[in-house]
Amino acid sequence: MNGTIVVTGAARGIGRAIAEKMASTGPLTVIGVDVAPELALSESITPVQVDLTSAEGPRVVREAVQASGAPLVGLVNNAGITRDARLVNMADDDFAAVLEVNLGAAFRLSTELAPLMSDGGSVVNIASRAYLGNFGQFNYSMSKGGVVGMTRAMALSLAPHVRVNAVAPGLISSEMSMAIPEEIREKMVESIPLDRMGTPDEIANTAWWLLTPLSSYLTGEVIVVGGGRSLV
Amino acid sequence: MSGHVHWAKEVRDDWPAVLAELTSAFHVSRRAAQDEESFVYVVRQDDLLGRRGSGNAIIACGLLSAARTAALEGARKGWTANVVAYDDASDRSGVEEWARRLLEAGDVNGELIRVGSGHIGKTLA
Repeated sequence: MNGTIVVTGAARGIGRAIAEKMASTGPLTVIGVDVAPELALSESITPVQVDLTSAEGPRVVREAVQASGAPLVGLVNNAGITRDARLVNMADDDFAAVLEVNLGAAFRLSTELAPLMSDGGSVVNIASRAYLGNFGQFNYSMSKGGVVGMTRAMALSLAPHVRVNAVAPGLISSEMSMAIPEEIREKMVESIPLDRMGTPDEIANTAWWLLTPLSSYLTGEVIVVGGGRSLV
Repeated sequence: MSGHVHWAKEVRDDWPAVLAELTSAFHVSRRAAQDEESFVYVVRQDDLLGRRGSGNAIIACGLLSAARTAALEGARKGWTANVVAYDDASDRSGVEEWARRLLEAGDVNGELIRVGSGHIGKTLA
């Protein structure tokens, strides 16, 4: 592969693993986007610190892509947050924040960058197994279901030139999952057939496959990477 | 008929309009949950498959996922959350009848009922 790839939410967890994986696998320019001011990635990754929910966010990323001087061959919409609560107690602000970051930013950035995507390019949207339903996550699962819907619509609108797929991670060892109380997390792990949490690298491997021509006949699909949790 | 039926509003591929519709559904759903009443979202099958733009697809699939999560929460309290999807051949009264059945059933929860045959051979939502 040759060209530029954009990864959002690149400072930590799954996004960081994807950015590092892509930077290590070929003559690619990897642009790592994150709101975190402490963004510290490998030297081979070009950092862009911006709030993707801001009015100028998508434009700033587009300008970084254009400044890279290479064709845009990949986009990974990964940035995400949680603000969990039962529906009866969910605050308007917590609903809006999750929708804006997990879905609005991905939608607006995809709209901004789609015209730049080169023939044969690939978009990977990081959804979540929670799109199948998850207690206490009305806002999060709605946002990730939205990501699935966006994936299907983009797959149709960008075909045949660009492929668009989604990865739906299950319980992955990251800052986000570490925010879950340990007792609950241990119970969650007990219900995973593969008997452990996944790693960010395991999601990065799937994203890498979707970004490369190895998955050249796949578009509009959701791949659940969850250790079999969706079966039990 | 006890419960709420929320028909997804059609939008263009415009984020503020998408967020407004999802927020509207959230408010209907939260009120229903607080009142321990069931609710049904009504969407188009074409939108579950992404055939009519990103905005409508986000809303349809977002509502389906939200219903599944709400269903888990309602199961503990005795109310349900479901989705009815219709196609171009569906008539409104038939769709409303399915929504009514789901509200009254009580033992169908977190489910997607696809009215008509247009979904056969297409991806599972």
